[in-house]
Amino acid sequence: MAWSSSNCVVHAMQSIRSPTVLRALLPQQSAARPNILRKVSLLPTPLQQRTNVRNYATELQPGEVQAAAEIDFEQFKARPARIVPVSPSYFSGIPKFYDHLLQIERLLAQHTTLPTVPPSEAPRRAWMKIAQFREHLGEEVPTKKYMGLLKVVYRLNCIDPKLLPAEVDAALQEFVRPGNPLGEKPKPRELDGMGRARGKGKRKESHAVVYLVEGEGEVLVNGKTLNEVFPRVHDRESATWALRCSARLDKYNVFARVKGGGTTGQAEAITLALARALMIHEPGLKPILRKAGVITVDPRRVERKKPGHMKARKMPTWVKR
Amino acid sequence: MIVRQLYSRQGRQLLSVNRQASILRRFQSTETQTPTTTVETAVKVETEEPVIPVPTESALDNSTSSDSIRLAATEAFSRQRQNVKNFKKLGSVVRNKYWPDALIENPPLPSQITLELLLANQTHLGHSTSRWNPSNSQYIFGIRDGIHIISLELTAAYLRRAAKVVEEVAALGGLILFVGTRQGQKHAVVRAAELTGGYHVFDRWIPGSLTNGNEILGSCDRKVVNAFDEELPEWAERLESRGSLKPDLVVCLNPLESTVLLHECGLNNVPTIGIIDTDADSTKVTYPIPANDDSLRSVSLIAGVLGRAGEAGQRRRFESAKRGVLGYRSVSLGKKDVAERPESEDAA
Repeated sequence: MAWSSSNCVVHAMQSIRSPTVLRALLPQQSAARPNILRKVSLLPTPLQQRTNVRNYATELQPGEVQAAAEIDFEQFKARPARIVPVSPSYFSGIPKFYDHLLQIERLLAQHTTLPTVPPSEAPRRAWMKIAQFREHLGEEVPTKKYMGLLKVVYRLNCIDPKLLPAEVDAALQEFVRPGNPLGEKPKPRELDGMGRARGKGKRKESHAVVYLVEGEGEVLVNGKTLNEVFPRVHDRESATWALRCSARLDKYNVFARVKGGGTTGQAEAITLALARALMIHEPGLKPILRKAGVITVDPRRVERKKPGHMKARKMPTWVKR
Repeated sequence: MIVRQLYSRQGRQLLSVNRQASILRRFQSTETQTPTTTVETAVKVETEEPVIPVPTESALDNSTSSDSIRLAATEAFSRQRQNVKNFKKLGSVVRNKYWPDALIENPPLPSQITLELLLANQTHLGHSTSRWNPSNSQYIFGIRDGIHIISLELTAAYLRRAAKVVEEVAALGGLILFVGTRQGQKHAVVRAAELTGGYHVFDRWIPGSLTNGNEILGSCDRKVVNAFDEELPEWAERLESRGSLKPDLVVCLNPLESTVLLHECGLNNVPTIGIIDTDADSTKVTYPIPANDDSLRSVSLIAGVLGRAGEAGQRRRFESAKRGVLGYRSVSLGKKDVAERPESEDAA
């Protein structure tokens, strides 16, 4: 039944025909008749012509084709081939930033299992401000992105300092402000050659400089006595409060220079300056002075006047029409 | 009413508490047990205690002692880790567990793409039928639960084609840029770029990076390299007069949001490969890959496969360079190059 289909007949004919094409070549190729093959190879037959045409390196006769000149690799290496970006983040516009970010994130992923300390116990480092970082990289890094990077940096800084790997430490140093201001404590102030301690203080618009020497309790403010400068008792008390609360009124001589502001401001600027100078003489007094509130800086200043207001906050009286 | 309920509730609980027994027990015993505790005044006994080194400030300043503290801490930590490792061997063993990063860290080769792999990575899931773009009708296999299902056979075929494109571009020394600006695509994008030796953008594509490249990318560093990608610093000064670079192929993992990028690529004749979900416009990219672009697994798989293809292309490029063949036209950088130009063409 299969033969009745015309398709099958065609297939069958093709299967018979296809080997017959090759059959003419078969006796020449078979190893069973080497003699014939040798005879044939002597004469230029169509088969031999065909092998030459194929042009495989293994079939070529030596001497027919010259080998290519040896490649001069020194020259090849010195020749520029392409121009490529330095960083894989080139097309982001801020490649150095992204390189830093990826490096820091890679380090965090690598060392994420290391034990950490609470942020308050982590070593204090002054991280670069955004402007400094921009200058450092030479790229306009958006603030938000830098803050995102700093979050990773904070996390890395919280790794236990005893176990902090060297590569992480080196990577973190990249983001530390040059000089690392938080890393070094300021030098403790000392008395000068003549036994004077110098302290500065500010309050409202007043600035005061106080020189404190050991003495009998004399006080000079701008070359005048305390009574002349501050007619109010309250001001006189507050100016010397640091000495009074530590019972040192008769142990030191005070020479103060004060300018700017009003009487209250000047008196309290002297308080602060005097307390700071006293701490140079006797650092042990610090807790007492702290408790007395004389080394606490009062940063309040006059609030600015606003448009639409009479003063800083006062509004004009409301009128119906 | 409320009071009665409270009683009935609390009364049962009170009954269940065995109070009566404790009272009875007190009467049963004749001798009461009073707790006798001998109070001893704490006297500090002078014994030889092991001296524990306390890290003082001076000790920390001293480099040698701080080193020893560091060493001790590191040793203790490594010991603890070793203990954890040893104890982990005990008990049951969990095999064949899912490791989310495996697809990104070790992505499959283009030859390993199977329909099962694509299905397992959710590439077949399209969008709700109401959100479809009719230009994608040829890629859609059917509807299930109100969402379009993308034909995996087509995904595989288009992915293989895209892989070939990436491989050839890499083999010819082209710059391949991977862009995926959606949240979570960063890792896959960076990894694919790393494999390909290409470039990545995972945050925002700055509009005009191609059309106004000199302004936006002008300050970014470039270098001249030879066929082995080694830098040739003596040519660096010639770069200043040249404009910014443009990618030779852009692979976009989220074409829906990257309209500006694709438009710029179109203006600059840069071919693009994009993952086309059922709601995206397939005419925006040159070589679409119909697949799910919302699943991170799907996106990681596709980016990984393309990254592997690029890796193979780079390998081919280096192999031909080792034979002294530059498969692409080298860059011309002025006078010094003119003498060598014919040779490079011979080599090509």
